[in-house]
Formats: sequence, structure tokens, C-alpha cells
Amino acid sequence: MRFTILEKFYISKYLRDPRRYLLRFNYVFMILGIVISVGILSAGLNLFEGYQRTLKSLLLDSIAHVSIFSSNSEYIPISEANRLKTVLQAHKEVTAAVPVITSSVMAQKAGAVRGCFLKAYDKNESTFSKYVVSGSPKLETDNIIIGYHLAKEFNLVVNDTLSIIFPQMNRITALGLYPSERQYSISGIYKSGYYEYDRSIVICDFETAGNLLLTEDRVSKIEISLLPQFTNQTEKIQSTLESELGDDYIVTAWTENNAGLFRLITLEKWLIFIVFSFLVLIAGLNVVSAVSTSIVDMSSEIAILRTVGAGTVTITRIIYSRIAVIGLFAVLIGQILGAGLSYLAIKQSIYTLKGDVYFIDKLTIFISPTNQIVIFFVAAVIILLCIRIPLRNIRNMQIIDVFRRN
Amino acid sequence: MICLAGHQLAKNFLDSDQVIHVLSGTDIIVNQSELVCITGQSGCGKSTLLHILGLLDAPDSGTIELFGKEINSNSPDAAHIRNRDMGFVFQFHYLIEDLNAQENVAIPAMIAGESRQKSMNRATEILHLFDMDHRIGHYPNQLSGGEQQRVSLARALINNPKIVFADEPTGNLDPQHSLEVWQNIQKLNQDFGYTFVIVTHDSELANSSPIRYELKNGILVRNN
Repeated sequence: MRFTILEKFYISKYLRDPRRYLLRFNYVFMILGIVISVGILSAGLNLFEGYQRTLKSLLLDSIAHVSIFSSNSEYIPISEANRLKTVLQAHKEVTAAVPVITSSVMAQKAGAVRGCFLKAYDKNESTFSKYVVSGSPKLETDNIIIGYHLAKEFNLVVNDTLSIIFPQMNRITALGLYPSERQYSISGIYKSGYYEYDRSIVICDFETAGNLLLTEDRVSKIEISLLPQFTNQTEKIQSTLESELGDDYIVTAWTENNAGLFRLITLEKWLIFIVFSFLVLIAGLNVVSAVSTSIVDMSSEIAILRTVGAGTVTITRIIYSRIAVIGLFAVLIGQILGAGLSYLAIKQSIYTLKGDVYFIDKLTIFISPTNQIVIFFVAAVIILLCIRIPLRNIRNMQIIDVFRRN
Repeated sequence: MICLAGHQLAKNFLDSDQVIHVLSGTDIIVNQSELVCITGQSGCGKSTLLHILGLLDAPDSGTIELFGKEINSNSPDAAHIRNRDMGFVFQFHYLIEDLNAQENVAIPAMIAGESRQKSMNRATEILHLFDMDHRIGHYPNQLSGGEQQRVSLARALINNPKIVFADEPTGNLDPQHSLEVWQNIQKLNQDFGYTFVIVTHDSELANSSPIRYELKNGILVRNN
């Protein structure tokens, strides 16, 4: 777009002294509308992006990226699991391959029962130890490590006891079949930050799990952790391992189990974006009104410019550039406000996330450059289009009518 | 040499159901370097005639010629003609409040395609003619009525127009500033040969004009 000398003259004046030319009372509410709506849009997206990233990071930190199950039976013999462990650890993408026993169980304390998930490791395994916030991270027979929210729910502390029931009728007694039930001492409490895990996973060693579940020298699966740069390439790694291990094993990736969750979060994020974009659209209506008023206020200036020979296109572009500078400036201020609002949201202690609904219990923010560019682009398009609507009136404005009115 | 000619100019306005004949097929001829004054009662159509001659409004019928070439307000080059060949001065000066005196004067030159620097320099020269050197950086609200009208005159002249139209140029000024502005116009006409068509209801001012017309019942009548 080529600017005429007059257009360049006006634009340079606006940019050199914005306070004098742009910050007019007419524009105050227009600016406020844009700043607030873009601020809310930006804050919403910052918080959602933070939530998505924190959840993903927590999840990737606390779950197996790839799991290997036997396709023929429920369990894998420990000797075979150790052989597989050696094979798997030879892959450059793998940071750890850990045999585990897993099973659904029930935790019971003083009449209250909660469905839980038992996860047993080798005594020397320490992948979870970084999450232990009280007690010992070391696994000992007949001791368990429970999650922070489970401990809170049952009002338990380290050295208290908790009954774990394996609900399958696998124990034969003189009176018939009974489920296994044992009482364990709590040696540690962990907090991963992922609410669902902290409420439901009970950790113990192989021997403890074997006595309860009667697994003998067998494990349920081998859990593989990948280097961070490979966590998004699990499908490729999954396919490599499937062909390497053959039909005796089933290889699953974390994305299979959690893909729906992340798709939902992404969908929600963009729904929030669309809904909050309507606020910018409403601010855009405010722009239409402000520009219309502005045209009426500037009618003398428009008339005199046309009298001395300026074309309507030039005049339209001068006014357009004036209000566009204000609008785009307001969008940028709104984005800064959005960062401030989201920062305040995570700093405040009045509202916290409900972990049982949102998986994590604290707000986090992430200011994504991509999101900010998208916000700026969308807001700018809305505002610039809204400026154009009333400017069409300039073409129909009769100079003589303005002079007659005055 | 004929600078401007209007032939059979007619203009009617509709007020409710009543047709008001403001111009009833009047003629006017303005020679180069003439100073022509048009007088008449308030509401008789003086300003309308001036607007039509200045291509700001279209007549219902009739033609206008500038140096023998027919022009009209609806033609695509009307804006170009107003910019290059015509200058305008109004009762309410119509200076742009956001621009200082120098910038206000420079605007028509920039519209004509002159560079910003050249336009500013030319504006400074013209303002100097009106003894406004010390006021070039002042904004309209910092100028007196007489000064505002001098800036307005300077703006009208920056592109060396073939004809200057002035609509009640002293109508909003006190006697002292009126005289000042009138003297400026006379000086521009006599010393520099600018052609003026002035509409005024100030009979004293009109009487000192070499050519006077009165608009009566939509027809111009020469008074001297």
C-alpha cells in the first residue's frame, strides 16, 4: 500500500505525539473496551495454556510413556521381565525400563472405603522417590507409600495403618473363598501434583504385592520412561518395539490412554478462545460507535480537507490510520493486561482448582508466543474491520452540508 | 481575460412542500485579477452561488467555465481543480485544530503532491507575507480571530490559485481585524494580481470593492 504525502504527514504526526492526537475522550471507552476484552481473552488463554502444559508435564513425569504387557497371560515372569529390561534399556530413547505389578484394590480405614490402584516396584527402584513429601521413600515389605490426597481423605500420617483389600476371591479358606485383606503401615506419603494419582495410587514392593495378589515371581508389565525429546514420538517407538518384541507382547503408549484428555483440553482452550473473542467483537461494536462519533466531530476537518482538494480515499485512510494506531495499541495493552491478570490469578489464594475435577489443584500460566500472535491477529482483524464500517460514511458526506450546518 | 464565467446558474431548494428558487438562471463573469464583491440580504443565496462557483455544490442547471474550460463539481477532477486552481476562505476560518499555522497552510501543497519539506517552506514564506512568522508553530486556538483568518488566507494562496473565493471573510471579526483582513485581500489583488470573488453582507467593505454585484431574487445585478 502506497501512502500519499498527506497520509504520511498525518501518520508521522500521530506516531510522534500520540498523546496529543490519539488520546481523546471520544476514544477512551473504545480503548477501555478493547483493552479489557483482549485482556480477558489473553488471560483466559494464558491460564488454559498453563493448565494444559502443567497437566501434560505432570502426567509425563508420573506415568509410563510406553508399557509392555504379555499378550498370552496376565503376568510376565520376573526372569523374562529382567531380560526384557536389559533389551529395552539398550534403546537410546529409553531412560528407564521398570517391571511393575499393578492391580485395582480398595483402601479401607475406619469404615470408609476408596477404590485405589496398587503399584509395586522392586525394592531398589526409586523412580517415585522424588515425590515423597513425608516419611521414607524406601520400599520395605509390608509397608506402603500412599498419595497426599488419599492420606488427607483418610486423615492418615506416616506410621498409621491402612487396610488394602484385593477384591478377587482368590484366597481359599476352610469357610470358602475370601478376598485378600491386609493391614499395612504407611512408611511415606508422596505428592506428584496430579490429583488423580495422589488420591488413588498406593505404592509397595514386589513382596508385599505378591503376598496380597498372589502373583508369585511375576510382574504385570514393564513401564518405560523416555527422554523428554521423545515423549511426543511414542507412536514411532511403539511400532519399533512391537516389531522387535514380536507377538508375545503388547506395547501401549501414553498417548493412547490420555489422547482423549488432551484433545478435550485443546478443544476447550480454543472454545474459550472463540467465546472470549466475542468480547472483542462487542468491543468492536464500541469501536463502530466511537468512529461514527469521531466522524461527526471531525466533519469540519473532513469538509475543509475535501474543499482544498483531498480525495475521500485519502481522508478515509488518514482517519483509518489514526484509529487503527489507537486500536492496535489498545490490543497490545490488552495483551499486557492479560499477562498481569493471569499472574494475579495464580497469585491469589481465594480460588483454587478442584483437583477431582481438573486433575491439578493449582492455577499456572504460560504465555505462549503463538497464542499471543493469534490473539493479536484476531483482535486486530476484528478492530480494523469495525473501523472500516463507519468510515464508509465519509464517501457520502457532502461538504456543503457541513458548511451549511455550521 | 475571463477567468471565471457562470452561465444561467439555477438552484432550488425544497423546504417542506415549498420550492425556494435561490438562483434563477444568473450569469457572472470574473476577469483575471479582478476583485468582485457579491452582496445581498441574508439568506438570498450568496453563499450558495459561491459554493457553486467553487465546485463545492452543483447547480440544478447552468454551466461554469474556468479560463474557457467547462468545469463541474461532479467531475472526477473537481477535487484537483479546487486544489490547484482555487483558494477558499470562510467566515469561520475552518482551520484544522490539530495542526499548527504552518501545517494548516501547507496542507493544500501536500495534497498537490509537494514534499512535506517544500510545503512547509512555502507555508513559512506565505505566512511571512502576512506578518505571521512568530505564530507559525501556534495552533488555531492560540491565535486571535484576525490571525486565524490570515492563516486561512495563506492556506488559500499556497498553490497560487487562479481564483480565490471568500465567503464572509470578515463576518466573524471585530472592525479592526475586519479592516486588517480586507487590506490584506486588497493588497493581494493589487500587488500580486490574485483574482477574488468575495461574498459579504458588509456594505462598507463592498463599497470599497471595484466591482460589486447584488444578488436579488436569484439574479446578480451589477451595482457599479
